This record gives sequence, C-alpha cells and structure tokens, in this order.
Amino acid sequence: MEKTIVARTGNEAMAEAMRQINPDVCAAYPITPATEIMQIFAGFVNDGKVKTNLITVESEHSAMSACVGSAAAGARTMTATSSQGLAYMHEILFIAAGIRLPIVLAEVNRNISAPINIHCDHSDTMAERDSGWIQLFSENPQEAYDAMIMAPRIAEHKDVSLPIMVTTDGFIISHGMERLEMYPDAEVQKFVGEYQAPYNVMDVDHPITVGSIVLQDYTFEFKKAQHEAMKNAKRVIMEVGKEFAKTFGKEYGLIEAYRCDDADFITISLGSTAGTTKTAVEELRNEGIKAGLIKIRSFRPFPAEEIAAILSKVKAAAVFDRAESMSNQAGPVATEVKNGLYDAGVKIPLASYIYGLGGREIFIEDIKDVYKELKNIADGKSKPEQAKYIGLKV
Amino acid sequence: MVKKPEIKTWKDIAVGGVVESGTAEYFHTGGWRSKVPVWQKQNCIQCMTCWAFCPDNAIKVVDGAKGKERGEFDYNFCKGCGICPEECPQNNKITKELKAKDATLKITPSTGKGTPGFDEKAAILFVGLKEAKDKYNIK
Repeated sequence: MEKTIVARTGNEAMAEAMRQINPDVCAAYPITPATEIMQIFAGFVNDGKVKTNLITVESEHSAMSACVGSAAAGARTMTATSSQGLAYMHEILFIAAGIRLPIVLAEVNRNISAPINIHCDHSDTMAERDSGWIQLFSENPQEAYDAMIMAPRIAEHKDVSLPIMVTTDGFIISHGMERLEMYPDAEVQKFVGEYQAPYNVMDVDHPITVGSIVLQDYTFEFKKAQHEAMKNAKRVIMEVGKEFAKTFGKEYGLIEAYRCDDADFITISLGSTAGTTKTAVEELRNEGIKAGLIKIRSFRPFPAEEIAAILSKVKAAAVFDRAESMSNQAGPVATEVKNGLYDAGVKIPLASYIYGLGGREIFIEDIKDVYKELKNIADGKSKPEQAKYIGLKV
Repeated sequence: MVKKPEIKTWKDIAVGGVVESGTAEYFHTGGWRSKVPVWQKQNCIQCMTCWAFCPDNAIKVVDGAKGKERGEFDYNFCKGCGICPEECPQNNKITKELKAKDATLKITPSTGKGTPGFDEKAAILFVGLKEAKDKYNIK
C-alpha cells in the first residue's frame, strides 16, 4: 500500500481521519485546544471533500444532543471537544452510552477549571470514565489518526454498540507537528465500511421508541447489557487492531508493553508521557537498569488482567497519573491498576505519582528519577509513596 | 403447582432498550398530579389553545356538533402542570370585575384520586410490546 508521509499536528491528523471516514453528520462547538479539529473539518465540508452534514450548535450540551439524535436516526456521527466542553456534555454522554449509540468523539485532553488553564492533563477525560464510553489514549498524532480509523469499527461492532472517545494530549499532541503516515482514502473507507446502525428511529415503516422510561423493573437488566457490551469491547478492540495490522501494517491492542519482557522496574502511563518514558527506558537500559513501560491505550475498557500479568514479574512498579481524584490514595489510573493486582493476587511494591497537571512539563530526568526510586524501594531503602506530586515547586 | 411466570432477562433486552412505538399509552403518569385542572365547558370558546400547549396528550379532541372540538381531560396523563389555565385566552380576560367562577380552566387542589402511575403492563412492555399485547389483550 502506498503510504503518504506528511507532517501533521494531532488535530490535523484527527481531522484528516475524519475526512477519510466521511461521516454523515458532525455536530460540534469550538473549545481550545480541540477547536482546530472541527475548524479544519469545516474546511473539508466547505470544499466538498466530504458529504458530511455539519451542524453548528450553541453549546457542547447541544452538540452531543444533536449527535445522539443523528446516530439514532441511522447516521454515522462524529464530534470533537475538550475540557469544559466535555464536562458540559456530561449528562448526554451517559445517554449516548445507555442507548448504545456508536458516536465517535475526538477528545483533546485538557485541564478542568479551576484554575482556568487551557493546557494538558487528563482531568476532563478521567471525569467521564464512568460514562460508559470507550476511551482510547494516543501517544502521538499517528496513534490518534490510526485510532480514529479504528474507532467506528470498534464502536459499531454488533457485540459492542457503544460510543467511543479517541483522545490526544492538549497542545503536546494536538498542536505538536510530527511525522504521519497517511493511508489512501479508498483503503481507509474500505476498512471502515458502511455505518452499522444499532437501530433507526427514522424508519417510519417500523416505528420504535428510543430512550423510554424504565424503572425498577428493567433498569438493572438494561445496565447489565451495557456492562457486557463493555466487556465485549475488550475483545473487539484487539480484533480490530489485528485487522488494522493486516491492512495498514501496525498492530494496536489494549496496552503496549515496551521492553517489559525482562524488566525489573516498570512504570505505567498513558498519552504523550509514554513517548517520553520510552526515551527514559532506553537511557536507563544503557545505564544497566532493566526498565520497562506499560502504556495504557484503552482506559475504558480497562485491561486489568493484562497489566497484572506483566507486573507479577517485576520487583517494583509505579503509576503516573495526569489527573487528581482527590481520594487521598492515588490517581484514577493507579487505583485501577491496584484493583487489577489485588484480583490477580499480585503483591508488589507499587508507587503512584501525580504529575503534569495543567500542562506542567515532565522531563526524561523526572521519569528516570522515578525508576531509580523504584530500585531503592526494591532494595528496601525506601517505601513506595502514594499520590506523590512530582515536578512540583517545593 | 403454580407455574412460574416466564421472566424476561437482561439478554432479552433489545440493544439500547429500544421498544416499539406508542408505549406511552400504557404508562399512566396522571398519578403524579398534585393539582387538578377543571374545565368549565359553558365558558369555553373552543379556540384549542389549551390543546396546543398541553405538554402531554391530556386534552382530548372529540367530534362535536360543528366538527372537531375540545373534549374532557384525560386524567391518566394530566400532571396538573397548570399550563392550560395560564394560556387560556378566556381566563386571561378575567379582571377584578369578573369572578374566578367565570374561568374556563381552573386549578383545584388534588382530590387524592389519581390513576396508577405504573402498572404491570408498562413493565412488560419494555421487553416486548407484542407479547404484552397478547397477554393483556391490548389492541
């Protein structure tokens, strides 16, 4: 296959994927740093490069509401947002997931106020972790582009039928220009295929009710069906990843285990920080420390067993969280990892760190220090700390 | 021995809980009312404003002498929101000179008599209207 090598930012890469998918409907409202995705896509609409019906609405609440209506009416539907915009969609996110609409959302991770800050952390996306959406994180524009192409296939799969958000890190990825391998439009369209609607409210010959009231009698069963769909999503993400590899040459799973096979010390992170960590791992390996990285790609569904299986072989591990959950224990990622370890009966020293809130930089040296601390913990020289702030002015 | 009724499980639910259309008819919501609107037919000019504004389908249209006209409330669906007396043009003509008894629509305290808010029919509808129709002889 003829791949085109171009230089693209994360936002440009996501907009290009959307152009190639050519969704039936997009409804969106601008917000930094995701604005550009829809701004570029609106250009494609204007230039006739896509046949999408682009609906400009008065708020993110309305954007997601329009997406729900559109997807229920049998149209492949996409949107983009960030931060307060995602928070403003909150109510409708649960509805989209509950009535099982496979909407694709390009989400750019950004701090949630207060304080007002437009830069990257994961507090917006983590706040929606219980909404019932599949959540994929991207290390760079390439992964965001690839995930956007896989997203409709995962979301629309008949065993899943759930909405999906593909995330990039605000500014770091969204506005950072990198090398991008683009695939031919026709190949992408062939891979994505026709929209697989779960039902169609506009089929007037077969009228249906969507979103009806269900009380004590069947809400519980309704939720169980949703729960099973999210379980199925784990399998489908891997299946679609394998099929993607056959077509485009790069395989994606729930996690990426980077130099984990013989690792003594592993850190877990997601998004752009995983890229920085890979460099740290290589430098530590040159210094004789067997470092490894688990990059979580799918936060929802959460790959607990897969992570626990790898961590069962290490001397110590640490989790990087780019969001607070104010639990006094650990951030959201560390909490999930610990859950998985307990269930798998794995007891290892595990430290958890909070970093990078509001776009605070994380450097290779910061990450290397964490690995060195893990070595101290394994040697009994110190104890693992929880929710420890790194990169803080102290 | 009493035969155990067949209970529909979570596996029987259509994706997203989609059901056939028109199920609201079997889900009586009038029991939520705390106040009751009363229609005084003798004062009504048949403008149908109340019918247009009713957020539910609680004001019925019936065949009258001159064609379609406003009928009684369907209290199975009236939640006593008070929009109809608010919008009634006849009510709005009421001044100090005219007395409240002249109102076409007036809100009165609830008598406590309501229709059941939820019944077994509505429950079974969620897992398949066709079956419920058969079971309850619903046309």
